[in-house]
Amino acid sequence: MHDLLTGTFFWIALGICLTGMLVRFVLYFKGLSWQLDRVAYRAHPKAGLKGAVRSIYKWLIPFGTRGWQTQPFITLAFFGFHLGAVFVPLFLMGHVFFVEEKLGISLFTLSAAAGDVLSWTALAAGSLLLIRRLVLPEVRILTTWKDIMILGLSMAPFATGLLARYQVGDYGFWLNMHILCGEVLLVAIPFTKLSHVFLFFASRAQLGMDFGIKRGGMKGTKMAW
Amino acid sequence: MPEGIYCNKQTVDTPEGVNKLLSDTSGNTYYQEMEVLDVDTDLLWKTIQNTCKSRIRTWLEICAHCGMCADSCFLYEVNGKNPKQVPAYKIQSTLGEIIKRKGKVDNALMRHAMRVAWAECSCCNRCGMYCPHGIDTGIMFGYLRGLLYNQGFVPWELKIGAGMHRAYRAQMDVTDEDFVDTFEWMVEEYEDDYPGLTVPVDKQGADIMYTVNAREVKHYPEDLAEAAILFHLAGESWTVPSKGWEQTSLAMFAGDWAACKMQVESVYEAMERLTPKRMVGTECGHAHRATVIEGPYWAGRKDGQPPAPSIHYVEWLAEALNTGRLRVDPSKRIKELVTLQDSCNYIRNHGLKRATRDIMSHIVEPGFFIEMAPNKEHNYCCGGGGGFNGIGKFRKERNIALIKKRDQILETGAKLVIAPCHNCWDAIRDLEEEYEIGIRWSFLKPLLIKMLVIPDHLKPEE
Amino acid sequence: MFKKILFATSATPASDHAARVAFNMSGEYNAQLNIFHVLGVPSRGFSQVVVDVKTKEKVGVDEEYLFGVTEEIKAYYAKYLENGLDYTIDVAVGFPAREILRQAKMTQPDLILLGGSTGDEEESVYKKVSASSTLQRVAKSAPCPVMAVNRPAASFWGGMSNILFGTDFSKTSDKAFDFAARLAKAMDCELHVFHALDITGLQSGRLLDQDEIEQQIRESLRKIRARYQPRLKELKSYSMDVWEGIPFIEIVKYARDKHADLIVMAHHSRRIPDEQGRLGGNVEQVIVRAGCPVLSVNK
Repeated sequence: MHDLLTGTFFWIALGICLTGMLVRFVLYFKGLSWQLDRVAYRAHPKAGLKGAVRSIYKWLIPFGTRGWQTQPFITLAFFGFHLGAVFVPLFLMGHVFFVEEKLGISLFTLSAAAGDVLSWTALAAGSLLLIRRLVLPEVRILTTWKDIMILGLSMAPFATGLLARYQVGDYGFWLNMHILCGEVLLVAIPFTKLSHVFLFFASRAQLGMDFGIKRGGMKGTKMAW
Repeated sequence: MPEGIYCNKQTVDTPEGVNKLLSDTSGNTYYQEMEVLDVDTDLLWKTIQNTCKSRIRTWLEICAHCGMCADSCFLYEVNGKNPKQVPAYKIQSTLGEIIKRKGKVDNALMRHAMRVAWAECSCCNRCGMYCPHGIDTGIMFGYLRGLLYNQGFVPWELKIGAGMHRAYRAQMDVTDEDFVDTFEWMVEEYEDDYPGLTVPVDKQGADIMYTVNAREVKHYPEDLAEAAILFHLAGESWTVPSKGWEQTSLAMFAGDWAACKMQVESVYEAMERLTPKRMVGTECGHAHRATVIEGPYWAGRKDGQPPAPSIHYVEWLAEALNTGRLRVDPSKRIKELVTLQDSCNYIRNHGLKRATRDIMSHIVEPGFFIEMAPNKEHNYCCGGGGGFNGIGKFRKERNIALIKKRDQILETGAKLVIAPCHNCWDAIRDLEEEYEIGIRWSFLKPLLIKMLVIPDHLKPEE
Repeated sequence: MFKKILFATSATPASDHAARVAFNMSGEYNAQLNIFHVLGVPSRGFSQVVVDVKTKEKVGVDEEYLFGVTEEIKAYYAKYLENGLDYTIDVAVGFPAREILRQAKMTQPDLILLGGSTGDEEESVYKKVSASSTLQRVAKSAPCPVMAVNRPAASFWGGMSNILFGTDFSKTSDKAFDFAARLAKAMDCELHVFHALDITGLQSGRLLDQDEIEQQIRESLRKIRARYQPRLKELKSYSMDVWEGIPFIEIVKYARDKHADLIVMAHHSRRIPDEQGRLGGNVEQVIVRAGCPVLSVNK
C-alpha cells in the first residue's frame, strides 16, 4: 500500500497537478483579450508589468494592502494558514528527503520545530477560517458545501501528518492517510477552487495590469490594487 | 407576449423612437411589459460564449467566498449589512447563476438580475481593491448590464438614455446646432464682463478641444460660459467641435456597447478633424471614463488611448493654477470648512487624486480643507453613480445609498462640498434635499471665477 | 412701443399683480402677448422627472402633461383672455431664469414682464426684502427691458402720465435714459429725472456734513442737466431732482411724491450676488418696495 502511494499514485497525482496547472495557466493568459477586457496589455508592457508585480507583491505581504489592514482578523488567520500550507509541504524535512529521492531536487529544509509550529498554526488558523465561515452572515451566505470540503481537504494533510508525527495509534496508517490526502489535494488543485494556488497570480497580475495600464498607473499613481 | 411595444430587445435609434418611449409616463407600461418579456436563451448563451472569456470566468470560479469584499461595499453597509448585499453574493447569484445554467434562465431571474445590476451596484469598483484575488465585481456588473440590455431588461430611463445617444449623439435631445447656438449665446451674455471672450468653433490645430455634458447645454448653460471664461483668462488657444462635443455616455450605464462606440467615435472624429494638441473634458466623472478610459477600446484602438491626449477638467485646472496661468486672489480663497468629493470614475479609476488636491491647495485657505475618510482611491461612491441617480424605479434604493456620503460629509463638519463631477454633484444635491443636513455643493468653475485675479488687459472698461 | 410682450408667470396668485399689468398693457397697445411658464425644475441627473413648481411634486413630463399645464394656464387667466387678445402660451422645463432668457432669445420681445416670486411661505419673508434670483438673473442678461411688478399697489396700469427715471450716471444709465425718454415721448407723459445721493456712509466711510451734501447735490444737478437736458427738451414736460438718503428708499419716496406710473432704472451689476448675499442691488430693492411697476434696462 505504502509503495503504491509513494510510487505510481504519487507520479500520477503530481503529473495531473503540474500538467493541469500549466494548461490552465497558459489558457488563462491566452484567453485574455485586450478588447473584451478593455486593457491594452500588449501596447504598454512596461506599465503592465509594473502594475502586475506590485499588485502581487503587495498582497503577498501581511498587511501590505488596505484590504489586509482593514480586516486584521482574517489577515492573521489567512496568513497563518497559508504560511503553513506553502512552507510545510515544500520544505519539511521528510518532504524534502522524499522529493530528493524521487526527483533528485534538493531543497532548503525547515527545522522540525518550525515544521511543528507552522503545522499547528495552519490547523488552528484553518479552524478559525472555518468558524468564521459558519458564524459571519456575510460569509455564510456565500458558503457552499464545496467550500467546506475544500477547507477540510486542505487541513487533512496537516491533521494526518501531525497524528503520524506524534505516533497517535498506528504510525503506518496515519502516514499512508497523510500521503493519500496530500495526493488527493494535488489532483484537486487544477479542478477546484484550489486552482487559486496558481490562478491567484494570474488574476492578480491581470488586475494589476488593468490598473497599471488603464486605470491610473500611467498617470503616476502608485498603489496596491 | 414575447416582446412589448415599449419594452423589447430592439434598440431605439431615432428621435421618434425616443419620443415614443418617453410618452410612456414613468415607464409604467414599459415595466409591465417587462414582466412578460421573453428571454432569448440561445442568444444569451451564445453571447456569453463569445464574450465571457478567461478573466470573468476565472473570477467567478476562483472567488474563495471569503467575504472580504463585504465591508468594501457602501451599499452593503448602508443596507444594514444585509448579506444579500455582499458583492460576491450579488454577482454569483446573478451573472454566476446565468452562466451556471448556460443561459437557460427565466424572466424572473432576468428581472432580479436587473434590479441587482442597477440598484445594488453602482459599478464604483471599490470592491475590486479589497479582494485578495483581484476580483473586480464592478467590472462584472458592467458586463452583466450588457447582457441584460441585449435582452431588453434595462431600466426605462437608461433605454431612453442610450436611445438619445443613438439618435442625437448626446445624452439629451440637444442637436449640434443647439450646442453651438447655446455656447455662442452664453458667451454673448458674458462678453461685456470679459472683453474679448469668444467661443472658437471648429478651430483647426488649437491647443485644447473642449467637450461637455449635454446637460450643461440643456439646463446649466452658465457652465459653458464659465469654461469659456476660464480658458480666456488662462490665455488658452481652445476650440469646441460643432460635432462630437458630447463627452458623456449613458449608453455605458445602460450596457449598450454599440451605442457607446457610436458616441465615442463622434468625439474621436472631431479630434481627428480638428487635430487639437489635447482634449479637455468638463467636470464629469463618467464622461471622462467613457471618452478617455473605456472609449478607446470601444472604438477598437489598440493602444487604449484616444486619438489626442485627453485630460479631465481637474487636470487642466491644476496645471493652469500650478503654472500660474490662472492666479487666485489669496484674499478670496475659501475660508470655511470645505470638503472634496472624489469621483470614482477618475480618482479610483484613473488616479487623478493629486490634481484635485493641488486645486484645493490653491483655492482653500490653509487649514480649511477637510478630507473625507476614507478618501482618494478608497473614497465611497456618491450614492448615485453608474446610472443610479436617474432611475425612477430605484429611487428608494438610491436614497438609501446616499446615506454613506451623507455621513462622510457630516463627519468632516464642512458645510461646503466641492464635487467636480455631474453625477456626484447631483447626488449631493439630492442628498441635501432628502436629508437636509445644511450643506452647499459646487462645481469648481463657479468657485474659481469668483476668486481669480483678472489680468489688467482682460478687464472690462469702466 | 410694445409690440411683443413676454410675460413670464408662475400662474399662481404670486403673479396676479403682474398679470393685471401684462393683460392691460397688451390690450392697450395691441401687443402680442406670449404667456410663458416654467412648469418644473429638472431633477435627478438624466431622469425624466421634474419637480413641479406649483405642487412641488415629482412628475414625469410628457406631451400630455405639457398640454394639461397649458390648459390650466388658459383657465387661470380665462377672464383676461376672453376679449380677443392676441396671445400664445408656452411652457418649458428648466431653471426659470435661464428658460425665460432662452424664450426671449427665441421670440425677441420688446419687453419681458416678470411675475412675482413663488417662494415658500417660509422663504417669502426673505423674498420680500430681496427680490428673487430669477429676477436678478433675467434683469442682468435680458436682451430687452425687464419689467417687474411686485406689490399689489404696483399693479395698476391705466393711462401713463408720469415716468420716473433714476440715474447713477453710468453708461448703462444712459441707455436706460434713452429708453425712458423714448417711452415718455411715445406715451406723451412727464419724465422725472432723479438721482439719489448715497449718504449711507458705505461709500465714503464717514458721515458727510450738510455743506458737503448740499455741494454734492448741486453738482449732481449740474451733471443731470449736462447729460440729459438736450434730449429732455423734446418732451412737453419734465423735472429734475436730487435727494439725499438711502438710494432705493429715496427713489421709492420720490416716485410716490410724483405719482409715478413707472420707474425706469439701469441694471448693471456685473455679478449675480451670492446665494448667501441677502441684499440685491438698488433695482431689486426698488422693485420690492415701489408702488408702481419697475422697468430695468441693462444694455
